[in-house]
Amino acid sequence: MSHQTESSRKNRSKIWYAADLRRYSRGIGGLAAFFAVWWVGALLTQPSYLLPTPGESAQAFVELFATSTAVSAPFLGPGLVLPTGFAHLVETLYHYVPGLLLGAVCGIGLGLTMGWSGRLDDWLQPLIRLLRPIPPLAWIVFAIVWFGIHHTGAAFIVFIGAFWINFYGAYGGVEGVDSELTDAASTLGVDRDLSMLKLVALPSAAPQILTGFRTSIGRCWMIVVGAELFGAPGVGYEIINASNNLAMATSVAYMLLISLAFLCMDVGFRLLERRALAWR
Amino acid sequence: MAIIDSQPPAATRGKKIDIQELSLVYDGGEEAVQALSGVSLSVEEGSFTCIVGPSGCGKTTLLRTIAGLESPDAGRILVNSEPITEPGLDRGMVFQEYALFPWRTVRGNIRFGLERPDCGCADCESRVDELVDLVGLDGFEDHYPKALSGGMKQRVGIARAIAPDPEILLMDEPFGSVDARTRDRLHAELLDIWAATDQTIVFVTHDIDEAVRLADKIVVMEADPGRVQSTRTVSLPRPRNRTDTAFVEVVADIRAELGEPVETR
Repeated sequence: MSHQTESSRKNRSKIWYAADLRRYSRGIGGLAAFFAVWWVGALLTQPSYLLPTPGESAQAFVELFATSTAVSAPFLGPGLVLPTGFAHLVETLYHYVPGLLLGAVCGIGLGLTMGWSGRLDDWLQPLIRLLRPIPPLAWIVFAIVWFGIHHTGAAFIVFIGAFWINFYGAYGGVEGVDSELTDAASTLGVDRDLSMLKLVALPSAAPQILTGFRTSIGRCWMIVVGAELFGAPGVGYEIINASNNLAMATSVAYMLLISLAFLCMDVGFRLLERRALAWR
Repeated sequence: MAIIDSQPPAATRGKKIDIQELSLVYDGGEEAVQALSGVSLSVEEGSFTCIVGPSGCGKTTLLRTIAGLESPDAGRILVNSEPITEPGLDRGMVFQEYALFPWRTVRGNIRFGLERPDCGCADCESRVDELVDLVGLDGFEDHYPKALSGGMKQRVGIARAIAPDPEILLMDEPFGSVDARTRDRLHAELLDIWAATDQTIVFVTHDIDEAVRLADKIVVMEADPGRVQSTRTVSLPRPRNRTDTAFVEVVADIRAELGEPVETR
């Protein structure tokens, strides 16, 4: 009996292994096909600087870390010298991280309160309908005239982007709270709105809130690069800076750097999310 | 757990719940539904009352109103001679679909009502241990609800409801979603818990067998509008056996009153 279970388990893991292998090999095949098309396309493109080859791009990527640049960012002191790629990434994170976090905190806060309080919802719903469709980047003009297009201005744009995504995550999550759970909590002595919000609404909405935050991680990368194309320092600025010098391979290298930075954050957050939502 | 067959001296005690001319209308958009109409009923301290009736007779609404989750349009409910206005820790509730907090473990769910500042239990952890033991969930303390069977979930639901030691336990078709064999076991366990805690239980069900198995008093309700059709005392000795002639007779009697076909088994 136990032998049978053992062998069936082994069988199942063998089946899993085969399925994984098939999936990974297909993925690698897709990537290889992409690089092949890119490579052939780059060889055929004239003049050749319009599209760098994968090899040239990889070389440019390596060079980002072979040279050094001083980071011109507040609080770090003037003398901090990092590999060029990291230096510009740090510049970007200087407005990305505060914008994202502040936007998430404000968005989640307002989403929770509005989702919970019908009266506040009545007050603010039309306003939100009006403001929500405005793309975050459209606010760049105010970022420029209010803050100047530097860290604060870029952080402001990121803030707006993060705010809406997190707002809707929290709002939808709280609206979806099962009334049986709030009933149960009422019969167990929860008699104040704040306690109900903390003990029932917040944990119950946590999956949507975390999904909203994870979505905003990606969306804010798009926004931050947009803001930097207008001149805020960071990897986005370096993309356009390099292309102004027709160093397209360097532009591609920075694009790849953004992709990798986003991937790291996304994977890291997914791990946190899985742990926090183990109950699901 | 041993099954205790002594009869609690329910009839000799005072009124625990006094429901007076209770009416409640649900405003269901197009037309209002008279969920309860002039319901009067009293429940003796320490007794086990079952409310049966067809769907739509307002039995769940009545239970929710006792819990303080619904406000009546007319009439009132007195508990210990005090009118009910809102939910309170003196009335615990067990829900049909369990209503467990999925983000809390078995322990966390049971402890929920003990975390309120007005609970005042001296040693909450040992109280939780005691309850886990009482409902037979040793070894599952750290499981999340998703990992539990329906019967186990409802054991948690019961333990959570009785944790703050309410005087009244309200149960809304608590075993409606578990299989027959588990339900049988849960009946015996519930009677044990009742005997051990001395609570007043009001239990809603549509299953007449279940009501006769458990209750001191059975309230039959009818629909449109929801009202009390009859009440009767069941004085069969416990443990009760479904195949006893006296048991079968009581069941047949209630079925006849509800106009349901009498099963011949």
